[in-house]
Amino acid sequence: MTEWKSMDIDLLVVGGGPAGMAAAVEARQAGLQVLLVDQRERLGGAIYCQPDPGCAPVAMSARHRARWQALSREFAASGAAVEFHTSFAGLDSEGLALLERRASAGEAGRVLPVRARAVVLAVGAVERIAPLPGWELPGVMSAGGLQMMMKRRGAVPVGRTLLAGSGPLLLAVASQMVALGQPPVAIIERARPFGQPAELLKLLATPGYLREALAILARLHKARVPVLHATQLTSIRLAAGGGLEVECRGQGDERRFSVDRVALHDGIRPNDFGLPGGAATGGPVLSRAGDCREALGAVAAIEDGKRAGREAARMLGLKLPAMSLQPVKRERRAQAVLARLFSPALTTPPADLPDETVICRCENRTAGDLRGLLAGHDGLSAREVKLNGRFAMGSCQGRFCADATVDFLRRCGAGAEALEASHLTGRRWPVRPVGIATLLAEGGAAADPASVIRIEEE
Amino acid sequence: MLSPSFHNDAAPPVNDPGHVVIVGAGIVGISAAFFLSRRGVQVTVLEAAAPAAGASGASDGAVSVASKRPGLMMQLGLAGIATYRALASGGVLAGEFRERPTFIVASNAAEAEVLAEHAAALAGAGVTVRLLARAEITGLLPMVSEEVVAVARVEGEGHAIGYRVVERLARAGRFTLRRSAPVDGFVRDKTGRVTAVSTGQGGLIAADAVLVAAGNGSERLLGLSGALIPRKGQLLLTERAAGRLGAPAGPLMSSRYLLSKGAAKGGPADAARSFGLVIDPLATGQFLIGGTREDGVTNTHNDLAAVRHILREAVTLMPDLARLRLLRAFSGIRTATVDRLPIVGAVPGAENLFVATGFEGDGICLGPFMGELVHRLICGEPAAVDINALSPARFTPRAA
Amino acid sequence: MSASFFFWRGEKLEFQPGQTVALALEAAGQRDFGPSATGLRQRYFCGIGACQGCLVRIDDTVVEACLRPVEAGIRVEPLVAGPSVDTDGGRHD
Ligand SMILES: Cc1cc2nc3c(=O)[nH]c(=O)nc-3n(C[C@H](O)[C@H](O)[C@H](O)COP(=O)(O)OP(=O)(O)OC[C@H]3O[C@@H](n4cnc5c(N)ncnc54)[C@H](O)[C@@H]3O)c2cc1C
Ligand SMILES: Cc1cc2nc3c(=O)[nH]c(=O)nc-3n(C[C@H](O)[C@H](O)[C@H](O)COP(=O)(O)OP(=O)(O)OC[C@H]3O[C@@H](n4cnc5c(N)ncnc54)[C@H](O)[C@@H]3O)c2cc1C
Ligand code: FES
Repeated sequence: MTEWKSMDIDLLVVGGGPAGMAAAVEARQAGLQVLLVDQRERLGGAIYCQPDPGCAPVAMSARHRARWQALSREFAASGAAVEFHTSFAGLDSEGLALLERRASAGEAGRVLPVRARAVVLAVGAVERIAPLPGWELPGVMSAGGLQMMMKRRGAVPVGRTLLAGSGPLLLAVASQMVALGQPPVAIIERARPFGQPAELLKLLATPGYLREALAILARLHKARVPVLHATQLTSIRLAAGGGLEVECRGQGDERRFSVDRVALHDGIRPNDFGLPGGAATGGPVLSRAGDCREALGAVAAIEDGKRAGREAARMLGLKLPAMSLQPVKRERRAQAVLARLFSPALTTPPADLPDETVICRCENRTAGDLRGLLAGHDGLSAREVKLNGRFAMGSCQGRFCADATVDFLRRCGAGAEALEASHLTGRRWPVRPVGIATLLAEGGAAADPASVIRIEEE
Repeated sequence: MLSPSFHNDAAPPVNDPGHVVIVGAGIVGISAAFFLSRRGVQVTVLEAAAPAAGASGASDGAVSVASKRPGLMMQLGLAGIATYRALASGGVLAGEFRERPTFIVASNAAEAEVLAEHAAALAGAGVTVRLLARAEITGLLPMVSEEVVAVARVEGEGHAIGYRVVERLARAGRFTLRRSAPVDGFVRDKTGRVTAVSTGQGGLIAADAVLVAAGNGSERLLGLSGALIPRKGQLLLTERAAGRLGAPAGPLMSSRYLLSKGAAKGGPADAARSFGLVIDPLATGQFLIGGTREDGVTNTHNDLAAVRHILREAVTLMPDLARLRLLRAFSGIRTATVDRLPIVGAVPGAENLFVATGFEGDGICLGPFMGELVHRLICGEPAAVDINALSPARFTPRAA
Repeated sequence: MSASFFFWRGEKLEFQPGQTVALALEAAGQRDFGPSATGLRQRYFCGIGACQGCLVRIDDTVVEACLRPVEAGIRVEPLVAGPSVDTDGGRHD
C-alpha cells in the first residue's frame, strides 16, 4: 500500500455507475492501475442505485438483476481501488485531476490533486425538465429524484404523487410505485406513444426492451393507473393546505389534480456540464463513457464503459485490439425508436411560457426576464445571455436551465451563433461549487493517514 | 478638466466625420460608439466575437484611483470616475455605477509604511483618504483578520461591471453592432487614408474614419509590434453569501497590490507572474476575488496553484470567506503596454485612423471616459485632457 | 435498529443510519428546506447533486443535502438564515 500522492495513477475513473465500473474492470484486465471515485457512498449509479442499510431493494427486471450481479462481481474481483464521498471537481490547466473528499461530521473536506495518465469520465446523465409555472416549488421533484428516493428507501414517499412530462422513465417509475404498493395518481404524458404502430413494431428488434415495456404496461393496467396521453401540465401552485394544485391541458379539455407531490421528467441528457474537453498539454488522456458521453441507457453504458477502459489502455501504449462498437450501436437504435415514440404530440414552446415561469432556479430568472433581454436585440450571443441575463450563472451551472434557455433563444430566432447549451455552461473547473476551506485543505497534509487514498501496488 | 455638461452634449458635431467604423465591442469601443451615435454620427461596430468577449467581460470593475500614483494615469482615473458619475446621474448608467470606498489594508509594518506613504501621495493629488486607527478598523471592518495593522479608506470611488456597462451603452446608443465580424485589415488610398475595413467573411466595409479598440487584437491590425503585452488575470467568484457573513462597504485591497501593479516604487511589477489580492463584495452577495498578473499568457485557464494562492491570501485577510464555496474560476486577458501607458490617438500616416487600447487593469474605470475623449478626436474637437503622452506615434514609425 | 437523532433548525429529528440528509428530512415530513439565496425555496429535486436545489448548511458550510449522509448529532440549518435576502435575482453582479 502506498499513499496516493506518491503514486502515478494509470487511470482515474470518475463515477461508480455501470459505465465507470465496466471501464475499471476492463482497464484492470489490461493491467492498468485504477482508482475509481464516486461522490456517493456506494456503487451502482442511477440505475443500480442500492438501498440504504436496512431497506429493501426495489424490484428489478431479471435481465437487469443478472447484469448488475455480474458487473459487481467482476468489479469486486478486479482489484480497482475505490474512493467514495469523493467528487471530481475538474481538471486544472496543469492537467491535475481535482478530487474533492467531501466533508463529514468527523472529517473536514479537502481537495486532492491527482496526477493520472488517463481519466475516464463516467458521471452519467441528468434529466431534462421543461420549465412550467411552479416547477420550482417544494414538493415538485424530478422523476429520477423520486426514483432515487424509492431505490434508497425501498418505499414510496407518503402522499399522492402525480407523474408528468414525457418519456419511458415515467412508466418505469410508476411501475415501481405500483410494485411498492403506492401507485401514482396518474401519469401525464405529452406524447402519444401508441399513436405510431409502425414505430412500436420496431421494438421487436430488441426483445429485452419489449418484454420490459409489456411487463410495465401490464402492471400499470392492473393497478388502474390513469395514463393521459397528449396531455401536459400547464401550472403547479401551492394549495392552501400545503399540497399542490396542478392544472393540465389535453386534447381540448383541462383537468385539475390536488396532490402532495409532482414528479417531472422530459428525458435524459449527458451530464457533461463543465467537463474538460481536450487534454491539457502534458495532462492525462481524457475520455467519456456511458450516459455522460451519450445517454443510451444501462446496457450501452456497460458496453461503452468497457470500450473506454480498453481504449485508455491502448492510448497508454498497451497493444490490445479495439473493442467493437456494435452493442452500443444496437442500443442507439433502440433508444432512437423510444425517442420517436415519445416525441411530444404537444408542447408549449418555451417562448410561450407565462412571464412568471422560472427558467433558471438558482438565479431566479424567469421567462419574462429572458423576453426582456431579447427585446430589441438581434443575434444575442450565448455569452451575453449568460452575463447580462444571468441564465446558467448560478450554482447548478446551467444543468437545469441551459437547455431550456437555448431552446427559448432558438425559437425566438435569436442567436448569431449556432447555439448550444455548452456555450452557456462553458468548460471550467470547479465543475460544481467547492468549499473554499475544502480547496485550501491540502490532501497531502491529511491529519488522518487512514483517510488518505491508498492504492494497491502489484 | 471635463466640460461639466458633456453628458448632455448631443449636438451634432460641426464637422461630421461620416461613417465611423469601430473595431472591437469592448467597453472602450462601445463607449466611443455610444458617444458618437448620440451626436448623430453614423457608426458601425465590428466585433470578432461578441460584445464584452475580451477583457471587458472577464474583469473586476473597480472604478478607482486607490492604487494610482499622482500623474497622468491618476488624472485620467479621476476623469474616469467623474464620467461614471455623470452617466449614472444622466440615466444611461443609472443603477450600474455603485459608489463606495476602497479599503487598502496592510498586514505588517513594512506594508503599513508603504501604505502611509501611498495615502499621503493620494491626498496630495486631491483624493480624500484617511488612515483608520486600529479601533476603527475593528468597528468598520469586523470581518478582517486581526493581523491587519493599518487600513487606508479611500473615498470617492465606485464599481461598475464591464459587461453591464457594455450592454447598457449598446442598448442606449443608436449604432449598428455586428457580432462574429473579425476585421483583418484596412484598405488605404494613396495618401494613407483608410477607405474601408476588410472583414474575414463579409468583404469590405466603407469607412470615413476608423477607431481600433480591439484590445490585444490591436497590435496585429496596426502593426504596433512589440508595444502590447497580453497580461492574464485569474479571478475567482464565490457563491452568494446570502447574509451568512458580513461584507465590507467596499473592496479590500491588500497593500501588496500596490507593489504588484507597479504603482509603488520598487515593486516587483516585472515578475512573470505576480499576485495582487482584491476581495470585492458584489451587490449579489458574492465575492469576486483576484488575481494574478501573468505576462505574455493568453490562455484563459485556471490552475490549482494560483487559485489556492489567491484563496489562501484572501482567507488570511478575511477568514469568514473560508465558509463560502467557490462558484467559478475564470481568467481575462488585459492589454498592457511596454511603457505602461495606454495608446490613444490618431495613428501616424493615416489621418482618419484612431486607436484606443492598452488600458491594462484600468479599462473599466477609464472606458467610458476614453470613449468620450476619442469621440471628440474623431469629430475633430479638442480633448478635455492633454493626451499627447499616449500617442501611438511613440510606437509607429512616422512614415508608416 | 436503534433510533438516532440529528437537528433541523434546532429541532430534534430521527433518522436511519445510512440515509442522506435530504431523505431524512423528507421522511420527517420536511420538504421545504427554507429560502434560497434568490428568494425561492430550497428543496429536494434531482437526488444526484446536480440541481443544487437541496443546499443546506452543516457546520456553517453549504452542502447538497442529497449527497451528505446524515450523522448523529449534526445540526442542519437552512441555506439562508431568516427571511431570504436579495429577492431581486435581477441585481446583476
Ligand atoms: C434519474 C435517472 C433514472 C434512470 N432510471 C433508469 C431506469 O430506470 N432504467 C434504465 O434502463 N435506465 C435508467 N436511467 C438511465 C441510466 O442513467 C443508465 O441506464 C445508466 O445508469 C448509465 O450509467 P452510467 O454509468 O453512464 O451513469 P450513472 O449510472 O448515472 O453513474 C454515474 C455515477 O457518477 C457519479 N458522479 C456524478 N458526478 C460525479 C462527480 N462530479 N464526481 C464523482 N462522481 C460523480 C454518480 O454518483 C453516479 O454514481 C436513468 C437515468 C437517470 C438520470
Ligand atoms: C482579471 C482582470 C481584472 C480587471 N479588473 C479591472 C478593474 O477592477 N478595474 C478596471 O478599471 N479595469 C480592470 N481590468 C481591465 C479592463 O477589463 C480592461 O482594461 C478593459 O476591459 C479593456 O477594454 P477594451 O475595450 O480596451 O478591450 P477588450 O474588452 O479586450 O475588447 C476588445 C474587443 O475587441 C475584439 N477584437 C479583437 N480583435 C478584433 C478584430 N481583429 N476584429 C474585431 N474585433 C476584434 C475582441 O473580441 C474584444 O471584444 C481588469 C482586467 C482583467 C483581465
Ligand atoms: S436534490 Fe438536486 S442537488 Fe440535491
